Amino acid sequence: MANLLEVTDLCKTYVVEKRQNNVLKNVNFSVAEGEMVAIMGPSGSGKSTLLYAISGMDNATSGKILFQGKDITKLSGNQLAALRLDEMGFIFQQMYMMKNLTILDNIVLPAVQSKKTKETKKEKVKRGEELMRKLGIIEVADNDINEVSGGQLQRACICRSMINKPQILFADEPTGALNRNASNEVMEELVKLNKEGTAIVMVTHDAKVAAKCSRVLYIVDGNIKGEYDNSQNTDVLEKERERALHNWLLDLGW
Amino acid sequence: MFVRILKKDLKRKKTMNTILLLFIILATMFVASGLNNVITVMNGTDYYLDQAGIGDYIIITMGDDVVGGMEEVLSREPKVQDYKIENVVFASQSNVSDWNGKELKTKNTLIFQSLHDSKLSFFDCSNEKISTVKKGHAYVSGSFMESNHLNVGDVIEVAHGSVTMSLILDGKAKDALLGSDFMGNTRILLNDQDMQRLLSDEDVALHYQGEIAYIETDDVKSMSSAITDISNVAFDGTRDTIKMCYIMDMIVAFITLILSICLIIVSFVVLKFSIHFTIAEEFREIGVMKAVGITNRKIRSLYIGKYLMLALIGAIAGFFASIPFGNMLLKSVSENMVLGNSMGILANFFGALLVVFAIFLFAYHCTGKVKKSSPVDAIRSGQTGERYKKKTIYRIGKSHIGATSYLAVNDVISSPRRFITIMIPFCICTLFVLILVNTTATMKSDNLIDTFGTKSDLYVTDVGDVMSYMNTGSKSEFKEYLEQKGEELTKQGMPASFCVEIQYKYTVSFEGEDYVLSCQQGMGTKAADYKYKEGLIPQNKNEIAITPQISEMTGAKIGDTVTIDFGNEKQDCVVTAYFESMNQLGEIIRFHEDAPTDLQYVSSIMQYQINFTDDPSEEEIEERKDRIKKLYDNDAVMNATEYCMDCVGVVDTMEAVQYLLLAITLIVVLLVTILMERSFIADENSQIAILKAIGFKDSAIIRWHTFRFGLVSLFSVVLAAILSVPMTKLCISPIFGMMGARDIVYNIDPLQVFMIYPGIIFGVTVLIAWFTALYTKTIKSSDTANIE
Repeated sequence: MANLLEVTDLCKTYVVEKRQNNVLKNVNFSVAEGEMVAIMGPSGSGKSTLLYAISGMDNATSGKILFQGKDITKLSGNQLAALRLDEMGFIFQQMYMMKNLTILDNIVLPAVQSKKTKETKKEKVKRGEELMRKLGIIEVADNDINEVSGGQLQRACICRSMINKPQILFADEPTGALNRNASNEVMEELVKLNKEGTAIVMVTHDAKVAAKCSRVLYIVDGNIKGEYDNSQNTDVLEKERERALHNWLLDLGW
Repeated sequence: MFVRILKKDLKRKKTMNTILLLFIILATMFVASGLNNVITVMNGTDYYLDQAGIGDYIIITMGDDVVGGMEEVLSREPKVQDYKIENVVFASQSNVSDWNGKELKTKNTLIFQSLHDSKLSFFDCSNEKISTVKKGHAYVSGSFMESNHLNVGDVIEVAHGSVTMSLILDGKAKDALLGSDFMGNTRILLNDQDMQRLLSDEDVALHYQGEIAYIETDDVKSMSSAITDISNVAFDGTRDTIKMCYIMDMIVAFITLILSICLIIVSFVVLKFSIHFTIAEEFREIGVMKAVGITNRKIRSLYIGKYLMLALIGAIAGFFASIPFGNMLLKSVSENMVLGNSMGILANFFGALLVVFAIFLFAYHCTGKVKKSSPVDAIRSGQTGERYKKKTIYRIGKSHIGATSYLAVNDVISSPRRFITIMIPFCICTLFVLILVNTTATMKSDNLIDTFGTKSDLYVTDVGDVMSYMNTGSKSEFKEYLEQKGEELTKQGMPASFCVEIQYKYTVSFEGEDYVLSCQQGMGTKAADYKYKEGLIPQNKNEIAITPQISEMTGAKIGDTVTIDFGNEKQDCVVTAYFESMNQLGEIIRFHEDAPTDLQYVSSIMQYQINFTDDPSEEEIEERKDRIKKLYDNDAVMNATEYCMDCVGVVDTMEAVQYLLLAITLIVVLLVTILMERSFIADENSQIAILKAIGFKDSAIIRWHTFRFGLVSLFSVVLAAILSVPMTKLCISPIFGMMGARDIVYNIDPLQVFMIYPGIIFGVTVLIAWFTALYTKTIKSSDTANIE
């Protein structure tokens, strides 16, 4: 499959009180269309920084990030915003939403802002409802954001990230703030979306979550220390996939 | 430890704390200056009249042989406790000119007086008492210097009888008796030697001398009947009448007062919101403190301490800022008066203290929630998480606007309290601007003409002419003179007739009480030409119309019979109608045209009125006005609107205050918009970041924030514009009522009231909101990672 995202020699340096902190050091990897990639690593290794940089939310210090063949490091703020609106989706660990909107309106908001399709507002709302139905949260469509559980809210965030039918979904510890059951529900939905063709790049600490991905990147001190290909293990039982990944991670010093 | 928490808080939440501090400074500035201005304005005229020493009753006489006349009557009148009499010389504008020989404009009669002989205190522009005038120098009261574009050091030429002299102007004198726009006489204060030179002319000494008496009495009501033996009274009135002459100055002062009160309300509303808002921001930390076992009292004292500290810093800064700000507000109203209060800046100090106390109360009230909520509630930022009431009623699917506009509208609907806080100051300030716009527009129109007399095409002031008839003329001669003037204009191709309002002083008796009252009769007009409020137009010479003020003073009503001593005969006259008049502040009687009046009893002759008989257009009238100015070599030729403006007098000041009010409104709009928008940005940091993360451009975020303020501003100015019409009637009619006329038809200029002024305020709000919202550009989509 063709590469959707290609990262070449990506560096990110923060300067804090005249001291340079090289968070990402010449990172190279790619994500193919429809692929599901997990990024793992110890705290402070640069996972989230990498995710923000490749999604165009943060500027890279140097290097290339080609998305659909276009170098997003060369794009202006407005071009990046348009890209995030129409071609990318983002799920955060915390379920951030607009306080004054209902769950459904929060989900539909990016679609209303987007001019990608010629759909009417009603059709966009209908699509939002369909997404909610698919993710099993249609009953909370008219609720305020503080009237639903964490799992429901995170699924609502997934709906919002999917509303403009993005090519790729970035997720920063999407299950980090959820209990085991809610976490499973969310992961099931992400896997389903991936099977429908959406590429997913997610940061996680959870090997159980990462085991559902076709590839795992292990990052330490801003460098990719190892890459685990899980795509061949599709017929293996889930428990075994998890164990195999766990062993690989232990080998890397996790 | 608490000091450390406090220090950290002040440092970490720099933006919100700075915003709150600015609000406190602003509130203190408004409250402290407002309190001082309230006290000053409430005491306004009384303070000024006391400083000047004006007494309880004032009489002005003029004409032949008046000198010594008052002394004789007042010295034997038991109701008079004390009195002071000063000698003056009357003149007209034809007696003064600039160094080029060009006649200078004076409003009504000109009065010369020696400062040495003066019984009244006069003040210069810095409110210092004028104690000396050098020989060859002079101080001038009223708006004489402004209207003639004269400056300190300029020379004016005086020619009265055979005496001529040059006088160097030392400045403007604040004259409590004659300096108001309503009295409108110009008094020139001279050195005693210059005054003696003026009196050395026999003609001046004999025909143009007069006296002004300032009387102390406990029984002002009886004074009018007690002085009936004094002849040639041009004016008599109580201290209250003089106070009323400053009504227009006081309107402006009261507008300042109301503005100050509004600013105080605005300050407290905004302050309460800010404290509530900032404390709501602290709730997560409060929850953590509660969770680790810190007592409610300690937590509350920590935050109350923080707000008190900010309050003290803000109050000190605001106190110092309030002094020049208050002076600026009062400056436009103190040009004719000496305004002040015995408390001085102590009032500002109490105002500042009030703000500190109010902040303490607000902080105490807002932190009360700490006691009621559990640690978890507090961690959830004061929300229990279980709310069954729907927050939003406006749904994105039903909206017909874009995403950013929807967000703005939805925010306003979802958090009405927050936006009402902004609307209150916007609406109040706009409303006051519009009330003033309506009042000024009315004063600048001819809507008030019926309250001064009849409407004519042109009005001519010629005090010199008038005075000659007042001293020596007869009614028939005067009538002939007016006919001649009409013929003169007809010969010039401007066919016209002349008429004039004449005011007399006659003794009127009703139910055993005598009153010396002003009575007016038109020469060249009929009683039927005037407007009446109630009753029947006087049809015969023994029928009169009175004002409600006269009715209240004497007790006479429609149908009652009063006795009027016309000098040669006493006549019983029936009151047939009520009318409203701003002449003599409404204390006036209107005679039938055949009533047996005599110019011997005249107290004042108004402007000549010219009525063109060939029905010319407005443009033609304006052209003729210029021709007549040249023909008579007199600049004081006015159309009906200009005549009204001249009679009311304070239109320029009102206009200045109108612009000042607009400027203050724009400052309030600017400050409230900047501070509130910055508060919103600080509060919505995470939401802005998330919108950017999901693909909203910077411009969309700025549009969302700007549109929100635009919406609030639009609603405020539209509401203010709608309310301005009834509110103008409600607030301003009682003030016109005090001047004699309550039934005023207001001149509402739709363009100004519904477009220009609301447009300016709306435009400035949008511009400032847009400018402040540019700050959202500093928030990055990646900041979602740093959201607490």
